Amino acid sequence: MARSVETVSPSVIIAAVGLGLVVAVPFLFIVLQAIFPELGRGSLTAPFSAFAGALGDAKLIGMTGNTLLLGVLVVVLSALIAIPLAVARALFRVPGAIVWDVLFLIPFMIPPYIAVLGWIMTLQPRGYLEQLAGFNLTGFLFSVPGIVFIMTLNSFPVVYFAVSRTLETVGSRYADVARVFGASPMRAFWRVTLPLSTPGLAASLLLVFAMAIEEYGTPAALGSRAGFDVLVTAIDLRVSDWPIDLPGAAILSLVLVALSFGAFMLQRWVLSRRSYEATTGKPQGTAKRDLGPWKWPVLLTFGLVAFVATGLPLLAILAGALSRTISGGLVWSNLGPDNFAAILGDTTGALRALGTSLSLGVAAALVTGLLGALSAYAVVKSRARGRGVLDVLTILPNALPGIVVAVGLILAWNQPWLPVTPYNTALILLLAYCCILLPQPVRYATAAFHQIGDNLEAAARVFGASPLTAFRRILLPLIAPSLLAAMLLVFAVATRELVASVVVAPVGVSTISTYIWRQFEQGSVGLGMAMAFLTILITTALPLIVLSLMGRRGSLL
Amino acid sequence: MRGEWNSEQAISAQNLTLSYSGIQILRGIDVALPAGQTLALLGPSGCGKTTLLRLVAGLLAPTTGDISINGQMVAGPGVFVPPEKRQLGMVFQDYALWPHLTVAGNVAFPLEMAGIGRAEREARVTAALDRVGLGAMAARSPAALSGGQQQRVAIARAIVGEPRIVLFDEPLSNLDRELRETMVAELGALIRGLGLTAIYVTHDQSEALTLADQVAVMEAGQIAQLATPEHLVEQPASPKVAEFLRLGAILRLVRDAQGWSCAGRALGPLGGPEVALADVLVTPRALRVTEIGQAALTGEVLAAQFRDTGYTVTVRLDGAAEPGRAIRTVQISSDTRMRTGERIGLQILPERLRWFPARADVPM
Ligand SMILES: Nc1ncnc2c1ncn2[C@@H]1O[C@H](COP(=O)(O)OP(=O)(O)OP(=O)(O)O)[C@@H](O)[C@H]1O
Ligand SMILES: [Mg+2]
Repeated sequence: MARSVETVSPSVIIAAVGLGLVVAVPFLFIVLQAIFPELGRGSLTAPFSAFAGALGDAKLIGMTGNTLLLGVLVVVLSALIAIPLAVARALFRVPGAIVWDVLFLIPFMIPPYIAVLGWIMTLQPRGYLEQLAGFNLTGFLFSVPGIVFIMTLNSFPVVYFAVSRTLETVGSRYADVARVFGASPMRAFWRVTLPLSTPGLAASLLLVFAMAIEEYGTPAALGSRAGFDVLVTAIDLRVSDWPIDLPGAAILSLVLVALSFGAFMLQRWVLSRRSYEATTGKPQGTAKRDLGPWKWPVLLTFGLVAFVATGLPLLAILAGALSRTISGGLVWSNLGPDNFAAILGDTTGALRALGTSLSLGVAAALVTGLLGALSAYAVVKSRARGRGVLDVLTILPNALPGIVVAVGLILAWNQPWLPVTPYNTALILLLAYCCILLPQPVRYATAAFHQIGDNLEAAARVFGASPLTAFRRILLPLIAPSLLAAMLLVFAVATRELVASVVVAPVGVSTISTYIWRQFEQGSVGLGMAMAFLTILITTALPLIVLSLMGRRGSLL
Repeated sequence: MRGEWNSEQAISAQNLTLSYSGIQILRGIDVALPAGQTLALLGPSGCGKTTLLRLVAGLLAPTTGDISINGQMVAGPGVFVPPEKRQLGMVFQDYALWPHLTVAGNVAFPLEMAGIGRAEREARVTAALDRVGLGAMAARSPAALSGGQQQRVAIARAIVGEPRIVLFDEPLSNLDRELRETMVAELGALIRGLGLTAIYVTHDQSEALTLADQVAVMEAGQIAQLATPEHLVEQPASPKVAEFLRLGAILRLVRDAQGWSCAGRALGPLGGPEVALADVLVTPRALRVTEIGQAALTGEVLAAQFRDTGYTVTVRLDGAAEPGRAIRTVQISSDTRMRTGERIGLQILPERLRWFPARADVPM
């Protein structure tokens, strides 16, 4: 290492402070609370005394088992649905391929807790299915298979896009070479395409697993009736219901973090061992094969999946939103824009919730964008000492489920000795969103920085730019397109984030998600549906439109 | 004694070393470059040329030693002037043009950083682009230029701020030969015309010898020889320098009672030092083709290559191959084309040889 007399770049300092505040503090307090049960009273007595009770609890084993089961089942079902679709999409000429891509992107963009409300409306007794077809599927819905089914509809697109993209790239780059050297199409697929695509597939499945074990809305809405507790719902119970059990919540959080971290590290390992997607830009358009007689069955399957995953929940939500009363059912006389009028009239605080969430979404996008860019810079480009620590802090949020972040923030900022605290202000929500969503901008910015030659920054310095000026004038504009995409994603997800909002939102502050959640609990389903519909419109359509204008629709995944 | 003339040097470096995590990349570098002169850094890939240039630019800090620019110490014990304060121009090996700025935006950047007003900036950008013949391309994106054009933009950017010192890192290495030869001439004219002090990194000896007032031949992190081009060609300091400059073949000779011999072939008394073993530089000018019957050296033509003035013929010398050494070949110039496989005799002109006392332990 060259002796560096130069002072550390201000960008690195800002990144370190930001990461400390947003990531390190909440995580540290979870660990502290787990070790020192009396932390809430400002005391460090009786370390580790809560572990025995919490870890020895038979219920913990059960909940951990349930969490793992849920993750595995969602992974399996996602793979079963997504892989055949992806193979067809990548290797054959499927009519309307772009349209299917968009239709499969939408369920990924609709948060499961909103989709689940649509499904409840459809499948419950006297729901839309019963009104149209004469039977209901309540038993299925409020059961483990029901939970798995609904969560899969949200997560299979991850696998679909990852696999179809890898197959396309690999197919055109390597399998064609195998063909030249005499392999039949089948042989080329089995010997070249499939082995080369496995890492991409494995990584996407691990991502689905991580998403599934962190999910709150679906198990909370459906699981309690089925008596199906997972770690996330158990943690929520310990921090929000009497008797509050913070040490227990902290220990469960650590278990969840361990699972999530394991999945994430495995995913990184798989990708770092052999990743063939990252090596090329766009797959070259090679001649795909005709589906032949399979054309109609394949199209039918695509259509069915798109309808179930996208069309049905959207229609159910729209129907609920347009119904004057839910009991009135699906008849013309019962339809009207009353719920939308109520929302726009702000009689129920809906507009304020909308405003709060949208401003928090914008703020989270800006903060994570800046912090993500600076952190990625510090890790990739700077030679500052201690950047290994920063690297860990940028990776850590990947393993921090929303509920854990929320618990950590409560533990950190609700300490009695703090002179000032963001707790009980909307700022605590911003901190939560930033920690949860930081990985997106970091990932995009890291990839972008790797593409930028070191000399571009060096040249700016030689021609008179200070470190900050070089960052602002040269590096930031170069990563801007990627960063903007990531920030849109942050905006979209932060505006309707559910679990942290439910747990840490201060009294009197409601967000889109807590508003919808509360309407549903209070029985004002129509209002909740109308809000849900508006939310989907704003947070799904807006980023999609902006991104497609930028010509990079697919890069969201 | 060095300190006295330090202040007159545009760039000087004393006893520079640089290590990356314990591995020495540069060792004991001493350089002194008077204002207005061009120093070429010449050496094989990986010998540390770019590293030395980055030290001068302030993109790296030396492990030990110090660097002064125009008499002011910019790096040394407890001193480090960051690159933006050194007021240099630099042309990077990969050009490092900023892809999000136009050609004019790239060239204007140094002026902007210097806080120069818009009107003057535009005028100077136009002048700099005109100077490199790219006035018409100001509004283009650098990505839409050819390699040679990008290279000119990089040069325009390096000179637009009128720095006294410009660093060039293999600016021509990415260009094809023809373009390189024209650009060398243009660059030389530019450097002289602006009175620049320049450090010019290259691994092409003809570029170095054409452009430079002084050439530093680097080898494994050290300067093997620092001299004027003429001196370098006339008196290379070591066989390695001679080989790197491709001045000719190095032959190992052994002295016995009858005189010198090469691989068992007696060559007669050639002069040379009073040692038992010596390496000798045999330039093409030191050889003459003779009748094969009476020649001391014989060999077989391996290849004949046409150059502007005649043929350059590579000849493999006869004689027992020594283990561990490459096949001995020499090059000669010839007006006529020789056939591959043809056997010829060679006569050595002793007064044109350059001798190096050999250290037997160093395999060549
Ligand atoms: N960041 C680094 N860490 C460790 N070693 C390095 C680093 N950068 C360069 N080196 C080593 O320093 C040596 C000199 O590198 P340098 O780039 O100066 O070579 P060069 O003479 O410019 O070569 P070229 O002609 O190929 O550009 C090389 O052996 C290289 O491996
Ligand atoms: Mg180099």
